[in-house]
Amino acid sequence: MNGFLIYVAKRFGQLVFVVVTGVTLAFLIAHFSPVDPVEQTLSLVTSFGATDPRSVEILRQSLRELYGTEGSLIEQYFLFWGRVLRGDFGPSLSAFPTPVMTIIGRALPWTIGLLTLATLIAWVVGNTLGAIAGYFRNSRAMKVVGLFVMALQPIPTYISGLTLLIIFGFLWPVLPISGGAQLNLEPGMTWAYISSVIQYGTLPALTLVLVGIGGWFISMRSLVSNIVTDDHVVYAELGGVPSRTVFSQYVARNAMLPQVTGLALSLGNVFGGAVIVEFIFNYPGIGKLMVAGIYAGDYSLVLGVTTFSVIAVAVAVFLIDITYPLIDPRVKLG
Amino acid sequence: MRLFTKIALAAVASLLALPALGQDFIAGIPRNEALIIQGPTAQNADWFNLWAPGGGANVNGQQQLTTDTLWWINPEGGADAWTNALATEPPIYNDDFTSMTVKLREGVYWSDGVEFTADDLVYTVQTQIDHPGMGWSAPFSLNVDSIESPDRNTVTFNLKAPNSRFHTLFTVRWNAAWIMPKHIFEKVEDPLAFNNNPPVSLSAYVLNSYDKGGNWAIWKLRDDWQRTTIGMLQDTPPEVKYVVYAASGNPEARVIAQRNHNLDVINDIAPEGMFAIMKDAPETAAWLPHFPFAHPDPTLPSVLFNLQKAPFDNKDVRWALALLIDIRAVALGSYRGAANLSALGVPPTGSAPENYFIPMQDWLTSFELNTGTQTIKPYDPTIASQLANMVRNQWPDQIPTDEAALQRSFGFGWWKQDVQAATELLQKAGFTKNGNQWLKPDGTPFEIRVMVEGDAIPTLARAGTAIAQQWSQAGIKATVDVAGPTNGQRLGTGDFETAIYWTVETWGGHPDLSFFLDSYRSDFIKPAGEIQPPRNLQRWQDPRLDALIDRNRSLAFDSPEVVALGIDYLKLVVEEMPMIPLMAYNKFAPFDTTYWTGYPSADNPYAASGPNWSNLRYMIVALQANPNAPKP
Amino acid sequence: MFKVLRDLLRYNREFLFGSLLIAIILAVVVASYFAPYDEMMTYAVIPDMPPGSEYWLGTNSRGQDMFWQLAASMRNTLIFGIVVALISRVIAIAVGLISGYVGGKTDQAIMAFNDTLGALPNIPILLLLVFVLRDQMTWPVLALTAALLGWTHDSRLIRSVALSLRTREFTRHAAFSGMRTTQILLREHLPYVMPIVFFTTMNNLIWAIGLEVTLSILGFSDINRPTIGGMIYWANAHSAMVAGIWWWIAVPMVAVVMLFIGLFLLAMSVNEYIDPRSRLARMGA
Repeated sequence: MNGFLIYVAKRFGQLVFVVVTGVTLAFLIAHFSPVDPVEQTLSLVTSFGATDPRSVEILRQSLRELYGTEGSLIEQYFLFWGRVLRGDFGPSLSAFPTPVMTIIGRALPWTIGLLTLATLIAWVVGNTLGAIAGYFRNSRAMKVVGLFVMALQPIPTYISGLTLLIIFGFLWPVLPISGGAQLNLEPGMTWAYISSVIQYGTLPALTLVLVGIGGWFISMRSLVSNIVTDDHVVYAELGGVPSRTVFSQYVARNAMLPQVTGLALSLGNVFGGAVIVEFIFNYPGIGKLMVAGIYAGDYSLVLGVTTFSVIAVAVAVFLIDITYPLIDPRVKLG
Repeated sequence: MRLFTKIALAAVASLLALPALGQDFIAGIPRNEALIIQGPTAQNADWFNLWAPGGGANVNGQQQLTTDTLWWINPEGGADAWTNALATEPPIYNDDFTSMTVKLREGVYWSDGVEFTADDLVYTVQTQIDHPGMGWSAPFSLNVDSIESPDRNTVTFNLKAPNSRFHTLFTVRWNAAWIMPKHIFEKVEDPLAFNNNPPVSLSAYVLNSYDKGGNWAIWKLRDDWQRTTIGMLQDTPPEVKYVVYAASGNPEARVIAQRNHNLDVINDIAPEGMFAIMKDAPETAAWLPHFPFAHPDPTLPSVLFNLQKAPFDNKDVRWALALLIDIRAVALGSYRGAANLSALGVPPTGSAPENYFIPMQDWLTSFELNTGTQTIKPYDPTIASQLANMVRNQWPDQIPTDEAALQRSFGFGWWKQDVQAATELLQKAGFTKNGNQWLKPDGTPFEIRVMVEGDAIPTLARAGTAIAQQWSQAGIKATVDVAGPTNGQRLGTGDFETAIYWTVETWGGHPDLSFFLDSYRSDFIKPAGEIQPPRNLQRWQDPRLDALIDRNRSLAFDSPEVVALGIDYLKLVVEEMPMIPLMAYNKFAPFDTTYWTGYPSADNPYAASGPNWSNLRYMIVALQANPNAPKP
Repeated sequence: MFKVLRDLLRYNREFLFGSLLIAIILAVVVASYFAPYDEMMTYAVIPDMPPGSEYWLGTNSRGQDMFWQLAASMRNTLIFGIVVALISRVIAIAVGLISGYVGGKTDQAIMAFNDTLGALPNIPILLLLVFVLRDQMTWPVLALTAALLGWTHDSRLIRSVALSLRTREFTRHAAFSGMRTTQILLREHLPYVMPIVFFTTMNNLIWAIGLEVTLSILGFSDINRPTIGGMIYWANAHSAMVAGIWWWIAVPMVAVVMLFIGLFLLAMSVNEYIDPRSRLARMGA
């Protein structure tokens, strides 16, 4: 068990390293922004009314005090760290005075739900198909499936999402194309709400699955086709072990392990895909929040979401990493 | 493999079963009692305090459906454009405009049963003066010296300086200073930090439910809707029982939602989307029943010059750039021809055609411009009909042939493209031509950056691209900059050369130009680099302009002289060309009549058509249920 | 080299098909240099014409011939992808070879840094950068940023090969005979990792182009410059989908899918070629 602890400590060190780098990067990029949060707020506030120029001056003065953009770069950097650790990214500019963290907190469950579901489905389906295709290398049906799955893989998320939206929202309008759940429905553990969430999540999830499935398929297929020719598998087959057992116990199990590592590595990319999917389907998650923040020029929101997603992805990778030795005792934790 | 076939079959079968699972669009509310309107995504959905700065949730329906104030102006104009809402009569000023008295209505109640009185009005002004961060604090502090309320129906504001436009703070075109519920806010310690949730309503609808994620808010007709100023105008109960503001995604998703009858009112879409709807969905209504369908907003998209940057400080250069524009190509590029052109410095909407455009046609036609070599008459009154002819093939039977109707849809005329005159003007300004490249007087190439906002207003980005192309073809290399969210900031600090945006916005329903003109006075102009307060973003400075503004400040709002003054201002804009006015901001807002009919239109302009406008309430109470709507 | 190519074309249908797709794309790119009008020009032809004999791929609502638009866009998008791939290849090779050759603590440190960068989610970082830079975010800047984010996975692959080369005889001989480290890496090790470099270049190209398409569609790139993503952006700005101008979206979509599948098939068949076991199986040996 000692080895496991060292392994976890090492991974944790890496997590800290990733988070520090990411947060620093986000701070530096944002710091050199030409966007002045105060002016941004002013233009949001004054965009429609018949505003007296003198009153704008007064408003500007009070906002300057509120945002407090004084101090040297180093001071601001440490102040920023203090705020990150407290989970306080200040008030959102476009949703003044709601704190950025509150807004992220609302969007977070949607993204986590969508990503977890879509990633798992893509992983399970892709690996299963890949394993079958690798094991029955000469099956014509699997070759067709393989071709289809692989053709889908390189297509950008936006394009597959848009295609699904056109098909199921416009040409054959059977699925909702916008939002997270039905209007006027009280969120809760009711059948009505859950089924509605599933229905609204179908197209976004399907998009992510279609895009994600190919990668798993390809790597699993090549892993399995390598293992199939290994001595122990050949012996088992010669020894009369039923082919189902050979497949599940000898082949699939060994091929699974690298795929778990792959799952951790893919999270960052999957998150990027979610940004696009949420944008297309107006899905109320983190990604849509980020794009909306950019369009609205909401400085604090964009910085908050970036920092937060860097941390969230790093933590998720860490969690998957530390479960790895539990599945594969061979990882001699040192 | 059999298992695999089974899975595939099951997948196909479940896909086919999907339509059967289809849910109603809104849970628990009959579709035929609800009007669904395109709303924003509100990140601060819990926030209903309209009086704190940046209360972004307000266009969720709150400011449109639950607020009220003293007066309203219908931006579409007409004989009864002015409405007394909480006031019973127009503002009463003393002779030197140092005090304004208002008479208030009786029998108006907040939705929690408390009666509206003069106390609420006094409280609204006093509280905001006392709390400098509040939305209308600054104008109140600047203007109001003291408030008197001799009885429950009368309030008199004593002003610090003469101001004949003080009442405009309480006059709604898009919004205005809304009355605060004294009985709620007086119990609150800090009115700036109070979220006002749930809000009480002073108008006919009250909050029913909302999404904490900010994707929708639903408003319900009050049982005592008669006890509101809007209810008092009605004999029969409004038929719309629920108003649903729903965030509806990108423009294409909006069109699809409307085609699926899940979105009755769209705020704005690309012209092509509008044309597609009008061609394919006969159940759709629009502001104009024929091409160009659009509602012209009382704003004036123009080519703004940064007048503090050379060579745009030179009138001849500005005129030359204007004469290089072929406005027909701009209209086609930005709006596919569906543009309402304006050569004058006000939008051609509401009452402006009667007040300004028609009376000034003769002056425009005979207006002469000296290019240094010759004198030309640049105005072409036939441009609108030329534009109409260009799109007539695409829209046979849709384009009116009557000249007056054409002018209402396409505008009155514009400057004729005249490359020769532009060349002469540039030469007069000391520019020289080297091959097909204009050189500035100092010998460097004349290049222009054209700033556009981009996605938020795609039609103007498209106009910018068209204009940049025309200038480039004439030998002035022009590039389009997409400023995105920094647009407002860059306009404010003067970090642009030219921009496609508007700095002129009017009442629409009233000839008074103070709405924008007052802020054009030279004492508000900042040196380059410092932030210019809205709206004189081109930083136009002219003693003649200051004189006009001073004269307007001492004129009563309804004085007949207001129009004469407006004409003087417009002549000055033509002569100086401080910006190149292009057209009205045409907004494409299709209405689905499957469930509701009686939407406002050019023939029956009883309300404005934008979902964000507070005037929308007049439309909502006037809609009738469509008897042929699908039964629930 | 020719023999390899011939073998691949003869025995590997994926390679044949992939080369065919890429050849079509390249032909279109070459055509862009013979365009009859300036690619930025709008209203050069009648707008909204469906594909037909006069306009092969139709015309869009901005009055541009889709064929010439596609040619210019494909060229710009490919150039972007290639620039990203080249820069990130240089970094990946340098980091991978050095880390593998030096080994030990240095290797560990470099790989820790490598994995840190790899673990950062690209899209949020890029979006933040776009937000901050706005119109300074020209395509070379974007390409450089993408390259800086897109090498970590590949350098790890290269390093694993370099690690195994380190202990081989010829490396030691070279070192004893007085070759400098850079010479050893460039002359002795680089040829061994070239197959991996080639394979990862294809994948990196796909990734970079996907990035460009995504950012342009969201409107976060220079709209003056025609690109594949930019075409879809303009189509969206004109509501092409609901307006029935389907070819405006379909043409860039099909083209990019062709390009991607082409690159993908090439990468896959090259990968298979590198692995002799599957090559022999395919040739029926």
